Amino acid sequence: MLFNSLHFLIFLPIVVGLYYLLPQKFRWILIFFASCYFYMVFVPKYILILFLIIIIDYISALTIERVNGRLKLFYLIASLSANIGLLAFFKYFNFFNENLVSVFSLFGKEFHPLNLNIILPIGLSFHTFQSMSYTIEVYRGKQKAETHLGYFANYVLFFPQMVAGPIERYETLGNELKTVHKPLYQNFSDGFKLILFGLFIKMTVADNIAPYVNQIYAEPLKYNSLQVLLSVFLFSFQIYADFFGYSTIALGSAKLLGINVMDNFKTPYLSKSVSEFWTRWHISLSTWFRDYLYIPLGGNRVTIPRWSLNILIVFIVSGLWHGANWTFVAWGALHGLMLLLERYFSKLFKFEIKNRWSFLNVVLVLKTFIITSFIWIFFRAESFQKAKEIFKSIFNNHSVEPVNLNVLYALLFTGLIVLFDAFLYNSRLDSKLNSYKTPYRWAFYALLLFCLMTLSGTQKFTFIYFQF
Amino acid sequence: MLKKIVIKVLMLVILLTGLNFVYNLTQYKRDLIDKCEQIVEIKNTQDSTDIFYFAESSNFNVRETDSIQNSISEITGFFFPSLKLTSINKPATHAGIYKEWLKNINVEKNKPKAIVVTLNLRSFDAAWIHSKLETQLQESVVLIQPFPNIINRFLLSLQAFENKTDEQRDADMQNDWRTTQLVFPFDFKYKTVRDWDVSYGQYGWDMPDGLPEKNKILLTCHYIKAYAFNLNENNPRIKDFDEIVGWCDKNKVNLYLNLLAENIEYADSLVGKELVFLMKQNRDYLVKRYSKNNCVVVDNLEKVKGLEFTDQTWTTEHYGYKGRMIIAKNLADSLSKQFSKQYKKAY
Repeated sequence: MLFNSLHFLIFLPIVVGLYYLLPQKFRWILIFFASCYFYMVFVPKYILILFLIIIIDYISALTIERVNGRLKLFYLIASLSANIGLLAFFKYFNFFNENLVSVFSLFGKEFHPLNLNIILPIGLSFHTFQSMSYTIEVYRGKQKAETHLGYFANYVLFFPQMVAGPIERYETLGNELKTVHKPLYQNFSDGFKLILFGLFIKMTVADNIAPYVNQIYAEPLKYNSLQVLLSVFLFSFQIYADFFGYSTIALGSAKLLGINVMDNFKTPYLSKSVSEFWTRWHISLSTWFRDYLYIPLGGNRVTIPRWSLNILIVFIVSGLWHGANWTFVAWGALHGLMLLLERYFSKLFKFEIKNRWSFLNVVLVLKTFIITSFIWIFFRAESFQKAKEIFKSIFNNHSVEPVNLNVLYALLFTGLIVLFDAFLYNSRLDSKLNSYKTPYRWAFYALLLFCLMTLSGTQKFTFIYFQF
Repeated sequence: MLKKIVIKVLMLVILLTGLNFVYNLTQYKRDLIDKCEQIVEIKNTQDSTDIFYFAESSNFNVRETDSIQNSISEITGFFFPSLKLTSINKPATHAGIYKEWLKNINVEKNKPKAIVVTLNLRSFDAAWIHSKLETQLQESVVLIQPFPNIINRFLLSLQAFENKTDEQRDADMQNDWRTTQLVFPFDFKYKTVRDWDVSYGQYGWDMPDGLPEKNKILLTCHYIKAYAFNLNENNPRIKDFDEIVGWCDKNKVNLYLNLLAENIEYADSLVGKELVFLMKQNRDYLVKRYSKNNCVVVDNLEKVKGLEFTDQTWTTEHYGYKGRMIIAKNLADSLSKQFSKQYKKAY
């Protein structure tokens, strides 16, 4: 079910209403069925994959807790292999085969791989990562294995964040799901604010930018340099608004049930460096990679060459996590490289960024934005050929006559989201708004509602991160 | 808490009412023109209109070589020079969309004396019902739902209309062809459109060199898919037209179902008498069902000769001048019974 659908706007109040009407001991059943229904609206049969993940990790965690020594590690590896195996099969099977064909052709051999018509189940990368974090934590002894299958199932299935995160830890979401939540006015108020804001940035901002970006990325060579460059910058805002919008609606929907979900974004385009960007963008994924890949690899307590390798590994894997395409790998690798360059330069020149606003900081923010925008090209382009065309158009198409494209709304709402980001710097909408008096708050709601209800895009664009 | 929530809900309702007012003042008309300019045309012209002529592409496609380029509605209008006949056209439109247009005629303000609704037989078939164009057509009527305009605009953004993917529509269409049983009063070896279609697809014509005559086979199969169906009250377009009849009945407006001509000659020569039988049977069904009260069925089904169709390689209802003239004259004859005083022999 899409958050930006009438279906969801009817579904959510029903679930919230029933949730508070039911006694605590039955609430998990409601969340379970509501989450299954939410997921099955997409492709019903894929719920079975989720059930499989749940069963594997539920049993693995209980077993890991019970055994000692090498057996503990054996069960962890078995559980992780099953999760990664499922992900690899559904997400990387065709990619792997395509690459095998290329490798064989390099040696003048023909290879005819098994052609399975696999469709990636929505949000599989999110479910598997969330579930794996639980078994790892149980293995590390930081988390007690959950004995109640229903609660564990809800941790993997919880509908507000099941298809595109935030990727939660059992320690927080698992406990939140077990806590008795009373209907509180503040939760309703904050939940609605977040949902309204999330819908606004998805439907009004992202969906008004999408047609412009899609048109240019489809045939970049046809357009003038400035138009292509603008589409590159606009895509940065489109993906931000799209994913931030989704995460904010997820936060708001969970809040209506009294459940707190982690923030996934903190004004990332106001970062002064690429490393800061990764502390503000898709935070739940960054922290996942930090805790379960970067630190186990040795983190920064190793030699500089080894640390550099660790950084590159983490970002390349992160790129691959996003999609089965070399362009995603390039996207991740470029981020890793930029981060390394930043670190080397700052050490070389003993350069330290002060955490206050100054002209220098504005320049740094702009620099980071330009770098991340150019790296997004590899994320957005379907192939290296397309990415090459984008670069070629930016640098060569000065003399091409500009095509008349309607970009007014895209620019208008991009400007608005920049203002919102400046307003929200380092804080969350609900808490920030609560510090203002009622007339200002309602003026803000009026603005959001008007833009959302009358100026939102009218084309259907699913959330970009659903494909992962 | 409940009191607080009630107050906030009331404030929200007041806010939305205000925003709706602002939306109506500033953007509604622009959105309407963008999504459904026909509604704006209806609203703008209804004060001066005596007869509304609702049509699909048959009313704006002409043969380039014709010396006279007038549309069917224009030619019909020549027979009634003292009446204002307004044509509202949109490609691929059908009864389901016309019924929405009708609801925008303000009968309190100025009631039209007659409404002509142009339909072709194909608009009742599975291919048209599950057409990919349907999404766009459904989208075009969201803004005129019976809710406040700001809600309608929001529903449009939420894609709250029959918004199936192309794949879903294709699957529905294939399913209809595969499962709907064709009924004949005589023995016929093909029980479904799919059987019939596959048979002709595989055993169609061969050219002298023995190779299959692909274009002819394609056209033949298309004729089968377009016209092989039995109309009955379960057909969604019949239900839609029933609503149109009901609206006209309720508002005491005369309704003319202008049933367009189909290329019967080609249907006969390409597929055979069984298909022609179905076409005529469906025509008879429409005539019988709707020739009552204030509704008149203008039957043009067999009026136009094969060569008068501008597209000789497809089943479109686009006519050369002679064809348009025949249909317009036939319609004018029917209208002349209601508008005998205004009728002037034009040709």
